[in-house]
Amino acid sequence: MSHDSTLTGSEQNLTIFKGMIHSARLRRIGLALGASSAMFLSGCASNAPQDTWQPKGENAEKINTLQWMVFPLAGIVGVLVFSLIGYILWRFRDKGQAIPHQSHGNPTIEITLTIIPALILSVVGVFTFRGIFQLAQTNDTQMVINVTGQQWWWEYDYPAQVVNGVEIAQPIITSGQLVIPTGTKVLLRETSRDVIHSYWIPALNGKKDAVPGRINLLRIQANKPGIFAGQCSEFCGLSHANMRMEAVALSPEDFATWIANQQRNAESPAQATLADEGETVFLNQCIRCHQVNGLKKADGTAAIAAPDENVYAGAAPNLTHLMSRNTFAGAAFDLLTDGCRKNVWSAAPEEFGAVYLKGVIADCLNQTNIRRWLRNAPAMKPMYANPVKLEASDGKYRGMPNLGLSESDIDKLVAYLSTLK
Amino acid sequence: MAIIERPTPADTISLRMPVTPAQSMGIVRRPVTSTGWKSWVFTVDHKKIGIMYGVFAMFFFIVGGVEALLIRLQLAAPDGKILSADLYNQMFTMHATTMIFLFAMPMAAAFANYFLPLQLGARDVAFPRLNALGLWLLVAGGLILNSSWFLGGAADGGWFMYSPNSGPVFSPSNGVDFWTIGVQIAGFGSLVSSINLIVTILNMRAPGMTLMKMPVFCWMIMVVQFLLVFSLPVITVALVLLTFQRSFGATFFDVAQGADPLLWQHLFWIFGHPEVYVLILPAFGIISEVLPTFSRKPLFGYPFVVFSGASIGLVGFGVWSHHMFATGLGPISVAAFSIATMAIAIPTGVKIFNWTLTMWGGKIWYSTAMKFAIGLIVLFTIGGLSGVTHAVAPSDTQQTDTYYIVAHFHYVLVGGMVFGLFSGFYYWWPKVFGKMLNEKLGGWNFWLMVIGMNMTFGPMHILGLQGQPRRMYVWTEARAGEGFFNFGFWNRVASLGSFILAIGILIFLINVVHTARKGKPAPLDPWDARTLEWITTSPPKEHNFDRIPVVHHLDEFFHRKYQENTTTGEMVQIATGAQLVQAEEDNADAHIHLPSPSYWPIAIAVGVGTLGLGVVYGVPIMIVGVLIILGSAFGFVLEPSVADDIDYDPPMSGGQDTKELAPLG
Amino acid sequence: MAMWLFLGSECLLFGGLISTYMLYRGRVTQGPRPSQVFDIPFTSVSSFVLLMSSLTMVLAVTSAQRKDNHRTKLWLMVTASLGATFVGGQVYEFTAFYNEGLGFTTNLFSSSFYTLTGFHGVHVTVGVIMLLSLRGIISKDKDTGDRPEVVELIGLYWHFVDIVWIIIFTLVYLIPA
Repeated sequence: MSHDSTLTGSEQNLTIFKGMIHSARLRRIGLALGASSAMFLSGCASNAPQDTWQPKGENAEKINTLQWMVFPLAGIVGVLVFSLIGYILWRFRDKGQAIPHQSHGNPTIEITLTIIPALILSVVGVFTFRGIFQLAQTNDTQMVINVTGQQWWWEYDYPAQVVNGVEIAQPIITSGQLVIPTGTKVLLRETSRDVIHSYWIPALNGKKDAVPGRINLLRIQANKPGIFAGQCSEFCGLSHANMRMEAVALSPEDFATWIANQQRNAESPAQATLADEGETVFLNQCIRCHQVNGLKKADGTAAIAAPDENVYAGAAPNLTHLMSRNTFAGAAFDLLTDGCRKNVWSAAPEEFGAVYLKGVIADCLNQTNIRRWLRNAPAMKPMYANPVKLEASDGKYRGMPNLGLSESDIDKLVAYLSTLK
Repeated sequence: MAIIERPTPADTISLRMPVTPAQSMGIVRRPVTSTGWKSWVFTVDHKKIGIMYGVFAMFFFIVGGVEALLIRLQLAAPDGKILSADLYNQMFTMHATTMIFLFAMPMAAAFANYFLPLQLGARDVAFPRLNALGLWLLVAGGLILNSSWFLGGAADGGWFMYSPNSGPVFSPSNGVDFWTIGVQIAGFGSLVSSINLIVTILNMRAPGMTLMKMPVFCWMIMVVQFLLVFSLPVITVALVLLTFQRSFGATFFDVAQGADPLLWQHLFWIFGHPEVYVLILPAFGIISEVLPTFSRKPLFGYPFVVFSGASIGLVGFGVWSHHMFATGLGPISVAAFSIATMAIAIPTGVKIFNWTLTMWGGKIWYSTAMKFAIGLIVLFTIGGLSGVTHAVAPSDTQQTDTYYIVAHFHYVLVGGMVFGLFSGFYYWWPKVFGKMLNEKLGGWNFWLMVIGMNMTFGPMHILGLQGQPRRMYVWTEARAGEGFFNFGFWNRVASLGSFILAIGILIFLINVVHTARKGKPAPLDPWDARTLEWITTSPPKEHNFDRIPVVHHLDEFFHRKYQENTTTGEMVQIATGAQLVQAEEDNADAHIHLPSPSYWPIAIAVGVGTLGLGVVYGVPIMIVGVLIILGSAFGFVLEPSVADDIDYDPPMSGGQDTKELAPLG
Repeated sequence: MAMWLFLGSECLLFGGLISTYMLYRGRVTQGPRPSQVFDIPFTSVSSFVLLMSSLTMVLAVTSAQRKDNHRTKLWLMVTASLGATFVGGQVYEFTAFYNEGLGFTTNLFSSSFYTLTGFHGVHVTVGVIMLLSLRGIISKDKDTGDRPEVVELIGLYWHFVDIVWIIIFTLVYLIPA
C-alpha cells in the first residue's frame, strides 16, 4: 500500500479511535468507527483503476473537492455522536441507582439540536448547489463525441469537426476505448440503442445514464496522457458485469496521429497469405454484422455489414482498426498479453502516447483470448445468442453467437484481424 | 364491520334474531373452531394474524438470507463460478424483493398487528376480516413471486425493474410476469391492511388516550400506513403498465414507439422512496419503546420524535428523484432534490439525538433488546452519515450504483431495520409466547450480528469508493487494484462477514427452539415496562383486556406502578405489574364480543392469486379467478360480523353464555 | 373513514394513469391521432348521463337516511342503470375506435387511453355491481349492519368515480393535445 499526504489525517483519526476502545462496552462503537475510518482511508489507495478519489480531470476534481468537504464532515459528526453515546452508555449504566426522574425532555436542547444540523447542512447545500451547476456547464466545450450504449458494449462516434486545429474530415466510428486529447473539454452525447446503460470513468467525471430515446450530456477532460478504467454502472441485463470501458487520453500531437490512422480505410492483405484466406472467412461470416471500412467483396464491390438484420440493437463494433485498440468485446477482454497490457497501463504520461499508438503488435497479441472468443463467444461472455431462444427479439441476436468456426478458419481469421491496425 | 366493543344488553339481543345457515350463503357454516389449523387459517384475531405474519416473514428472511449468502459466495473471489450470470441476476433481484416485500414489510406488519391494538387498549383492529385478507393476499403474492424459481426462472431485472430492461424483449422468461403480479398482489394486501390500521389508530384508542399520549410505536406505524396508502397506488400504476406491456402487447416502455423509459423510474421511485421509510420507521417505533423501558425514563422529547417521524414521512414523498441523479434530469431538478434530501437528514438527526438523550440520566439495563436498540442507533447513524455524502449530488454521481450505496442502505436496513426488529423480538417475546428468550444466547446473537454485519457491509464502503459497481455477477482482477485497498481482500472479508452474520441469526433461531422447549415462563412484567400491552396476561387473552383501560398518561402502565414522591422527587413503586393485571381481572367487563372467524378472506386471496396466474397463463384462468373473487366478495359482504348460533358445531343454544369469549377472571 | 382513505389512495392511482396519458397522448407513430377518433358530442352525452347518476345517488342517500326503503331502492336502480348506460356507451365508443383502426396496441396514445378510460370503466362497473347488490340486500331486508351508512359509503365511492370522469373528460377529450 502506498501512502500519500492524506493518510496522516486518517491516522490521527485511528489513534483517536484506538484511544476510545479502552472498555469492552465501547467495543461495538470502536467497530462502527473502524468502518467509518476505513471509509476515509479508502481515499488513499493508489492502484485501483476505478478509484473515485483520484481525479485526473477538471470535473472529477470538482466532485472530489465536494467529497473532501462532506466525508470528513460526516466523519466528525460521527465521532462526536459516538463519543456522546459511549459516554452515556458508561456513565448511566445500572449501578443500582434509583429510578430516575421522569423527565420528558428539554425544548431548548431539542431546538438547538435541530438547528445545528440544519445549519451544517445548509452550508453543504450551498456548495452542492454551486457544484451541480458548475458540472452542468457545457457552453465552453471544445470537442463532441457521440457515445451509444447497447448490450453489452459502447460505440464511440466522432462527428466531423475540428479539434485543436486538427480536422476530423470523415466521422470516426470505434468502440472499446474512448480516445480523447488531453487538456480538451470533451462533451459526450450519450444515448442507447436498447436498455439504459450508464457511462462512468471515475477519474474523469461522475456517471451519466445513457437512456434510449434521450441524449444526455457528460463533459470530461483529462489533464495528462494515460488510460482510465470505467464500467457500465446501470444494470443492463445478462452481461452487465462485462460491459466495461476505457478512456485513453493522448497529447494533442499523438491525438492527431491517432485521428489520421483512424481515417484510413483497411487495406486487403497480400494475396495467398493466411490473412488473405482470413479475409474470405470474414466475408463469409463476420461481415453480416461487423463493418470493416474499405473491405471489398470478391466481385470488387464494397462489403457492407448489416447488423440491423441480425442484432437487436442494430449495431456491432466496427473492426476497421481493431488492433489500434487494446481490448475487444465491450472492453471485457484484452487483446494484449498481460505483460504488454501492464506496459501500457503503467507507462509514464510522457511515454504513454508512443506506447499506446503502437497498437497491438504481433508479439503482444493475446492469442488465447481472441481464439477462445472466435471459438465460442457466448461461452466467454454470457449473451442472448442461442438461435432457438430468440423468439422475444424477433430472431435477432443480443450479442455474438457461436459461429461454429473450424480451427483452421480461426487461424485464418486471427491472421486477418491482426492486419486491421 | 367493526367489532362491537362492550355492547349494551340491547345490542346483544338484537344480534340474536332467529337465523338459518342461509345467512352464510347457505353453503358453508361459519368456522368457529378455536383450536387446530382451522383456528389459524380462518382466524380474524389480530394476535394470530400477527404471529402468522411473523412466521411468514421469518421464513422469507431465511430464504432471502440464503440468496444473500450465495451472492457473497459468488463474489468472494474474482470471476466467481458458483452462479451463472443469469442465475446471479435472478438471485440479487429476488434477494431484494424477498427482503423488502416478504420479510421487512410483513415483519413490521406482524409487530403492528400484534401490538397496535394492545398498545391502544383495544380488543382487535377496526376491520378484523380485512386484516386477515391483507395477510392472505400477502401470502398469495409471496407464493407467486417465489413459484417463478420453479416455473422457468425468477425475475432478473433487479427489484427496481427498470424499463426497458424489464420488457418482453430483454427479459423473455416469465420471471418478470410473476414478479409484477406477485408484488401487485402483496401490494393490495398492504393497502388493505394499512387502511385498516389507520382506522384502528384513529378510532379505537382507549378512553383518555389522546394522540399525544399514544405510544411512539403506534405513531410510527400510523405514519408508515399513510405512506403506504399514498405510495402503493403509484407502484400499482407502474406495475399495471408493465403487465399490460408484457402480457397484452402494449407499448408503454417501448422506445421505438416514442415511449420514455424514465416514466417507469419516476413512478417506481415515487413509491420506492417512501417505501424506504416504510421499512425503517417501524423499527424506529420499536426502539422508541425499548429505549425508555430499559433506561427507566420516558422518551426524551416525545413531541419532537413524533413530528420528526411525521415530517420524515412527508418529506419522504419529495425526494424520489435522488435515486435518479445520473439519469440526466437537468441541474435544476438535481439541485432541488439534492437539497430536499439533505433536509430529510434533519428530522432523522433529531431522532438520533432524542434516543441518545433518552438514555442520559437513565438507569440503563443492558438486556439483549436494549443492546439491539443501541446497535440500531450506532449503525443507523453510520448509514445516515454515508447517506448525507450522497445527498451531495455531484458526489453521488461517483457513488451511485457502486458498493458504497450497497453499504449505505445495508447499514440503514440491516443495522437499522433488522436490529430494530430483533430488539422487538427480545422485548416482546415473553408477551407473545409467555416465555423468556434466553439472554445468554441473546448476547451471542447480538455480538455475532454486530461483528458479521460490520464485516460484511463495512468493507463495501471501501469497495464502492474503489469503484466496484453493484449488480455485477463477477468482478475482475484487472480492475481490482493492488495494495491494501484491492477488491480481493475486502470482498473476502465481506463474504466471511456474511457468514458470521448468518451464524448470528442462526443463534436466534436456536434460541427460539430452545425457548419453546425449555424456556422459563415469563413473569407478567419482566422488563418493568411502560405501555398498555403489559397490563394483561402473557400471552394475552383472546379479547386482550378484561377491562378496557382508561388512560391518563403517556406510559400509562409505568405511572400506575410508580408515583413521584412530591417532597423528594423520587419515583416510588406503588404496585407491581402482576398486581395491576390481577386488578384488571378482578374488575373484568361483563360482556365481551369478538368477531367470529371467516372463510372469505382466504377465499378472496385464492381468487386474486388465481386471477394473477391467469395474467401469465391465459384468460380462462383469469375468468375462474374473477368468479372466485366475486363469489367470496359477496360472502364477505353478506356475512354478519358474529357467527350465528347455528353455525357452531354443535349448534349453540342461543343463551347468554354462548358467544361470550370472556371467562371473566 | 376507511372509504376516504381508500379514495385518497385511488386519487393517486388515477393521478398516475392520467399523468401517463398526458405524457403519451401526443406520441403517435402510427394509426389515428386523438383528434381523429374522438366523437365529442357522443361522449358529452354519456358524461352527462354519468353526471346525472350522481344526482340520483344523492337522492338515494337522502331516502336511505329517511329510512324510506322503497325510494332508496328506486333511486339505487336509477343510478345503477345510468351507470350501466355509461359503461354501455364506453363499450360502444371503444368498438367504434377499434373499427377506425385504433387498437389497444396501435400506439402509445391508444394504450394509455384505453388503460385510463378502461380502468375508469371497471370502477363504474364495480360501482354498478355494488349498487345492484345493495338493492338486493335491502329488498331481502336482512340484518347487515347500518344500512344508511352503507348507502352513504357507496354513494361516496360513486361520486368519486364521477369526479374522476369529469377530470378525465376534460383532460382527455376537451383539451387538445
